[in-house]
Amino acid sequence: MTDRTAPTALQTGIVQLRDVTEAIKVRIRNPAKLRNLELFLLVIAWVLAGGAMVLVQLGALQRVDMMPLQLAGLLGILTLALHIALRIVAREADAIILPVVTVLNGLGIAMIYRIDIAEGATGWDAASMRQIAWTGIALLIAIATIVVIRNHRVLARYRFLAMAVAIILLVLPLVPGLGRTINGATVWIGIGSVLSLQPGELAKIALAIFFAGYLMTARDSLSVVGRKVLGIRFPRVRDLGPILIVWAMCLLVLVFQRDLGTSLLYFGLFLVMIYVATGRRSWMVIGLGLVALGGIAAYFTLGYVQRRIGAWIHAFDQSVYDAQGGSYQIVQGVFGMAHGGLLGTGLGLGRPDITPYANSDYIIPSLGEELGLVGIFAILGLYLILVSRGIRIGFQGPDDFTKLLGVGLAFTIGLQVFIVVGGVTRLIPLTGLTTPFLAAGGSSLLANWLIVALLLRLSDSVRGRGIA
Amino acid sequence: MSELTLIIIRIGFLALLWLFVFIVLYSLRSDLFGPKLTPLQRVAVQSQRSRAEAAAQAAPAAAGDAPTTVTERASAGTASGLARRVVITSGPRTGTEIELPETGLTIGRSSSAGLQIKDDYTSNSHAKIVRWRDEWVVQDLDSTNGTFVDGKRITQSTPVRVGSSVRIGTTTFELRR
Repeated sequence: MTDRTAPTALQTGIVQLRDVTEAIKVRIRNPAKLRNLELFLLVIAWVLAGGAMVLVQLGALQRVDMMPLQLAGLLGILTLALHIALRIVAREADAIILPVVTVLNGLGIAMIYRIDIAEGATGWDAASMRQIAWTGIALLIAIATIVVIRNHRVLARYRFLAMAVAIILLVLPLVPGLGRTINGATVWIGIGSVLSLQPGELAKIALAIFFAGYLMTARDSLSVVGRKVLGIRFPRVRDLGPILIVWAMCLLVLVFQRDLGTSLLYFGLFLVMIYVATGRRSWMVIGLGLVALGGIAAYFTLGYVQRRIGAWIHAFDQSVYDAQGGSYQIVQGVFGMAHGGLLGTGLGLGRPDITPYANSDYIIPSLGEELGLVGIFAILGLYLILVSRGIRIGFQGPDDFTKLLGVGLAFTIGLQVFIVVGGVTRLIPLTGLTTPFLAAGGSSLLANWLIVALLLRLSDSVRGRGIA
Repeated sequence: MSELTLIIIRIGFLALLWLFVFIVLYSLRSDLFGPKLTPLQRVAVQSQRSRAEAAAQAAPAAAGDAPTTVTERASAGTASGLARRVVITSGPRTGTEIELPETGLTIGRSSSAGLQIKDDYTSNSHAKIVRWRDEWVVQDLDSTNGTFVDGKRITQSTPVRVGSSVRIGTTTFELRR
């Protein structure tokens, strides 16, 4: 018996040893594989971003000017820096997010540059210069976030601080002397005459952190108890408190800051996060009911909401088209996209600058005109991939906070794209939101790169636990 | 630059944009079809499988009446009939396997418990498994919702044989050798 078992034990020992070394080898190899894939995709992303700039110059100027290209190289250098930072502090982070976002940011810079050429803007007057500078700042802050926040779960501890920050950021534009009203919406703050910021963009991240932290602790009482009506379990009246507070907050934004898009974004974010936390359809019913209620009330009391909806439904009506604040912009955007057709006019060869705000709110029609339906679908595909990665990270999250935060952050990007693209294509009424990563605007870039940094950090912790 | 070259570059740009999208989708294929094994991992899986077969062949002598998989530890002849592992067979942590220490195991919702079960039906300190002579017994620590051995709620220390099921809250586990 001993003669037979001794070699068996030795053999199993050897096999076990081999398994352990293999496991270590696999562990060392896989993350490097992810980062190498990321580098490979990044190189293509740089070629795409640089190619877009060159094509704009060839189309609009008929020559290649090195100066703007070198400036846009900052995007390349800093994304490479972020990539290297990931190699050191988050080796197992998602490999897809960074390259996809780099392409979007690069296409945005190229399109803004193209509008600058059409409008003859140079130096710091040119929106593209400011966009490149903001890209630099946003990327530096994203790198700092990745390096400083090693464990995103500590954020759950600061959920009420996050709530306070979100409310302060929301109220800031209403402070006399600090707030700026541009085109009727009071969502900017200005420091001197140079810098203007949209604090609401940053507030959405703080809100997502607060919702994730709050729902992590409250999900049981929100999901378990309640009465059943028509097969759907409704929550108790006293559990309705938080959703009513958020609803009231969004209505305040709507009334005092006159910004339809932002209030829709916040409410949608809360609704989706509470649905994900509890898995109860009744929250959707209640939430959509509240949206309908708020929407109808706003339509009858707020003039600008009425004008927006009128311009949406009767866009091609001559009187609406000619009216101040009418549908001129919407119609020009639609004409631009129609002019682009399937393959587009080619970068630098269309007339996207006819549409007001062609480089910010209307950057999607601008791109649609010059890249065509084929290009727009590629861009929407990139957004789809980005959002699906975020939701996937949330889905794999080991704890409630990670799950909720991942889904919430990814959903803000998705909802924002839907509201903007739906608005310019006349699917829903037009509201002034920025297109993530594409549109000209520093606060939006900063906020969205921060979201990218957080998603990368989340994905690293998910894979770090060997769940991937 | 001629008109034609510009058109070709333009179309080329769109093609590259789509190529990028498809490369990304291709690299995400493991999300859709499950991870592909590297040759090294395949060898590891095969060696695991062959080891399990070898253990199964050696089993009849040592296994006795227990219908469980026998690990090489048991077949090497070091173990008596005593269980060494706890395997969760249903509930949120299905498939989890933990070592059963000689000193016994506490079960409950608190983080200091040896086997932590987090649900609304588990008390902070719910039950414990201790060794009594040559067998494991489970004791209910006056929990609110009770401990069930083979479907019956226990009121006193109850011996747990290998393979019989213990249910606490929504979690069921078995002792294995």
